[in-house]
Amino acid sequence: MMRTCLALGLTAVLALPAMAQQAATPPAPSWAQGRPDGMAASPLAPHAPRMTVTAPDQVPVAALRVPQGFKVELWASGAPGARMMAEGPNGTVFVGTRTIGRVYAVTDQGGQRQVRTIAQRLNQPNGVAVRDGNLYVVAINRVLRYDGIEGKLDAPGEPADLTQAFALSPEEHHGWKFLAFGPDGRLYMNRGVPCNVCEFDRDRFALILSFNPDGSGQRIEAKGVRNSMGFDWHPQTRELWATNNGRDWAGNDTPEDTLLRIRRPGEDHGFPYCAANWQDPFMQPGRPCSEFVAPAALLGPHTASLGMRFYTGTAFPEAYRNQIFIARRGSWNREQLSGYDVVVAKLDAQGNVTGIEPFLTGLRDEANNRFLGRPVDVLVRRDGSLLVSDEQNGAIYRITHGQ
Amino acid sequence: MRPGFLLLAAALLAAAFPFGPARAAGDAARGRALAEEHSCGGCHGPQGVSGQPNIPSLAGQPADFITLQMILFREVLRDAPPMPDLAQGLSDQQIEDLAAHYAALPSGPAEDRGPRDAGRFHDGALLAERLRCGICHLPDYRGRMQIPRLAGQREEYLAGAMAQYRDGRRHGSDTNMNAVMYGVTDAEIAALAHYMAQQ
Repeated sequence: MMRTCLALGLTAVLALPAMAQQAATPPAPSWAQGRPDGMAASPLAPHAPRMTVTAPDQVPVAALRVPQGFKVELWASGAPGARMMAEGPNGTVFVGTRTIGRVYAVTDQGGQRQVRTIAQRLNQPNGVAVRDGNLYVVAINRVLRYDGIEGKLDAPGEPADLTQAFALSPEEHHGWKFLAFGPDGRLYMNRGVPCNVCEFDRDRFALILSFNPDGSGQRIEAKGVRNSMGFDWHPQTRELWATNNGRDWAGNDTPEDTLLRIRRPGEDHGFPYCAANWQDPFMQPGRPCSEFVAPAALLGPHTASLGMRFYTGTAFPEAYRNQIFIARRGSWNREQLSGYDVVVAKLDAQGNVTGIEPFLTGLRDEANNRFLGRPVDVLVRRDGSLLVSDEQNGAIYRITHGQ
Repeated sequence: MRPGFLLLAAALLAAAFPFGPARAAGDAARGRALAEEHSCGGCHGPQGVSGQPNIPSLAGQPADFITLQMILFREVLRDAPPMPDLAQGLSDQQIEDLAAHYAALPSGPAEDRGPRDAGRFHDGALLAERLRCGICHLPDYRGRMQIPRLAGQREEYLAGAMAQYRDGRRHGSDTNMNAVMYGVTDAEIAALAHYMAQQ
């Protein structure tokens, strides 16, 4: 979801002459900027989340399709709101959420999966990452570290609270984090823009940041990135690659979400002036796209391209090695649904994207313009299988090849 | 209600809002028993129409909305005493059953609803139009999915809820209401609440 930004009706709010009289209030947060008058009565709104358990027989696994030779199965369920995933050294899969405020730990118990809630009552603990056996959890306003987590899943105890050291921004909007450790041992996270499209401090928002694991040494890794909910490092070149969500209310087909290749730390990727090779007319005066780094690939309009990982295993055919799996959670700000799948970005030896191919499909019912589930993240396990989290059904699918 | 009408209504709703996945509904009969067991009606009214200030009516609310709010209470993510305490220990199924029960009850205004004030009603109508409340809450404000029914709700409850959204003290499953209410004055909230309560 939610590139939720835009409140329906906000354009109207901001346009109200009556608002001008409120000189005492701070400037409006610009949530609804960028929506043309012609869309003011659009019924499009973020889809309702599901925060109750979906029984295993209700999970739409039978609708899922993968390429020939692959197999997809239900790996875990009963984890409402399951989003970002990280694997511990002993194989525990940690799962972050947003609205329901929980972190789950999923373990294999003799062919069955056990789902534990190891943290709760957090404000959108979307970000999870594991380093040296310690689990890092990042909510909008908190950074927590659970040391030696896999040895105490039944009683995690009180985590170390690193909140103060990281000094996160309190903005709720696009304030939930994707979290990952880089090959340099630093902790990376996004800081999204607190609006749909607006003027903002470009050194404070629309960033990918990195920190020392203790929260010191903040560094800007990428600028002009509206909101990235997934990134990973090329296994050979170690370049950082990231997905990025395009803005809402610019039309059914504009702009597209993007895949970014970040060759040099601090590069500017263009938001809010330019997205997906499209100069946003909302920004006046504008800046042409030629001033910014072009995306490596376009990922479709409003698809909500989120979690992405390079395939580093050996269990899939050679053609998938070092290619990028990308989960597309699916659109709300588009009349005909888009996304709701997992695609593969195919890269050549030079790291150029040669195509975006479907991989996991079946969750978008095109004929009826309905969706059955919402893939948010992908995770390559040590055994080479690929996990896909489905937030809407609180489920995790497992994709294997051959056998 | 006749089954035929329900089917037609469901079909119309599906046609209007085709996006969401089908889901297993709660059981209204089990929900009614649970509501009696927990004395929900003591505050929310025996038929889900509240006669108590600042306690919302639940009758006719969309089931998804009730489920969402109950989960937020149970997870202690929404602060509205005593609901977080009362929601502890409820299973997902029990919450969905309660939601099905209240969603099936006929909505209506509280017995103590005051008379309509033509001036405030008119102001509220204009504001509702400008804020486009009817896009998400539907033109008759009966709500849909996670978006609550406003029509006939208690006036002072609506005013309190809108102020909470404006002041960042309440959140839904997204931040839309916080954004919609940004900068809306207390007087404007009072007019909106009156207009919605008088539907």
